[in-house]
Amino acid sequence: MAPARYSTQRLVLTAVVWLPPLVFILLPLLLFLAQSFLRVQGTEVVYEPTFANYVRFFTDPAFLPTFWLSVVLAMEVAAMAVIFAYPIAYFLASLDSRVKYAMALAFVVPLLMSYIIKIYAIRSLIGGNGFVNRILLSLGVIDTPITLFSLNRNAVLLTLTLLLIPYAILPIFVALEKIPRSLLEASADLGASAWQTFRGVVLPLTLQGIVIGASFTFVLALGDFVTPQMVGGIEGFTFGRIIYSQFGFGNNWPFGAALSVILLAVVLVAIIIADRIGRSRFAT
Amino acid sequence: MMRATGLVRLALWSIAGLVLVLLYGPLAVAIFFSFFKFRSNQVQWDSFSFDAYEKLTQNENVVGALGNTLLVGVSAVAAALVFGTLLAFYYHGSQGRARTWLQLIIYLPFVMPPILTGLALLIFFRQIDFPRSLVTVVIGHTVFVLALVYRNILARLQTLSRSLVEASLDLGASRWQTFRYVLLPNLATAVLASAVLAFALSFDETLITLLVTGTSNTLPLWLWSLMRLGFTPDINALVTLILIGTTGICLFAVRYLTVPQAR
Repeated sequence: MAPARYSTQRLVLTAVVWLPPLVFILLPLLLFLAQSFLRVQGTEVVYEPTFANYVRFFTDPAFLPTFWLSVVLAMEVAAMAVIFAYPIAYFLASLDSRVKYAMALAFVVPLLMSYIIKIYAIRSLIGGNGFVNRILLSLGVIDTPITLFSLNRNAVLLTLTLLLIPYAILPIFVALEKIPRSLLEASADLGASAWQTFRGVVLPLTLQGIVIGASFTFVLALGDFVTPQMVGGIEGFTFGRIIYSQFGFGNNWPFGAALSVILLAVVLVAIIIADRIGRSRFAT
Repeated sequence: MMRATGLVRLALWSIAGLVLVLLYGPLAVAIFFSFFKFRSNQVQWDSFSFDAYEKLTQNENVVGALGNTLLVGVSAVAAALVFGTLLAFYYHGSQGRARTWLQLIIYLPFVMPPILTGLALLIFFRQIDFPRSLVTVVIGHTVFVLALVYRNILARLQTLSRSLVEASLDLGASRWQTFRYVLLPNLATAVLASAVLAFALSFDETLITLLVTGTSNTLPLWLWSLMRLGFTPDINALVTLILIGTTGICLFAVRYLTVPQAR
């Protein structure tokens, strides 16, 4: 009797654990994919399969350039994040273990602070009408506001890099922490200079961390549509914003879905490339 | 472990210092201007007051948005805890390929850009004619934080020795009693920590919420609509309160996450 009861229980548990993820995660994604092959006529969605949305993306000159600019922008964000994250991670790893984790925490805590608030705070500082400009003006340091970071692409780049840099610091720090001390000693004993040890031992061993950090920041930067809207002005009209704009009132959902599928494809390619590079040498 | 000397050391410290200033500076400025006024391009040093905070408590929109945010957060965390725990037990207690697929599905909303998760749910709700409301926001948040809760509980579950369960069953405890008196107390800190982290994520969630919400605003959405207009002292006051709240929650979670590892 007991085994039968357990197997009924098991069956119920199986159903309970499988249903919500299937209904609320997989099914929406499949519908989403299906939607991208539909089209709208007037305001109604027409239910017959078509490639029209994808053809439109690749042929209409309004979309490809913005798409590439957004990809390049996301790459720049990833590059900036890694370039600054690496020295910081190295700095953290070089600290005494008593302060190391507290300092690491200081760099990670901003991740858990409100995203909107961080954008707002950065914007209120850097814009043409921001506090930095206003104070510099009143002190007489400058005559006209600095517009380097006001509602343009630079502002998006700076803001996204600041928002996402903790994602790059963390994996590099973890990779640095995993390097056995004996390897560094061996390298030094064999006569390598500090630079040679870094170049020949430390850097290759942290490659995976770099790649994880870069792909994470790239993916998040590419998908963001609120940051460009808040700090980017017209210049910051990114691919994410185009997608978002397709889902407003009376807009083209199937086309928006197709654009999102393209975004998903880029994200997948980025993750696959990152995985390849990460595994190619000295896989940990 | 790593050594850095001389100039390299100086460079590392400066970069770290610079980024820390860039990370925390803007927030500090926002907090500062919730107490002080800024007039004719100058800080009014004698204008310290709590006026902005007082004005905030009279603002019905803030109170309403805060209520919505808390309601959504608590509901989503509760749902994620129930399903996350069930999923962790299911994964832990079964073998084969199916469980790996299930795990992959759960992880998807956490690794995909939030805009994709949000849009997928948006299209799904429209296809089944489910009106957008706080309920859809709760579903969106649950889907988003589920991976985190599941991962945390599973990780703890895997550190527990099977002999604990066997001993309990051998001593005559029912499966429910074993779960209630043996497993649950051992999972408690992991459950609590993931609940707090999940709540912090839900509290702050903007991108998915923006897509699946109806007419109700959560705090981040309300802030977003305000910020497009400009900066006022009461936004700064609200920002300060939220920062204190979320940082407090997170430090609490970190404490609970790290204590068991030290044992």
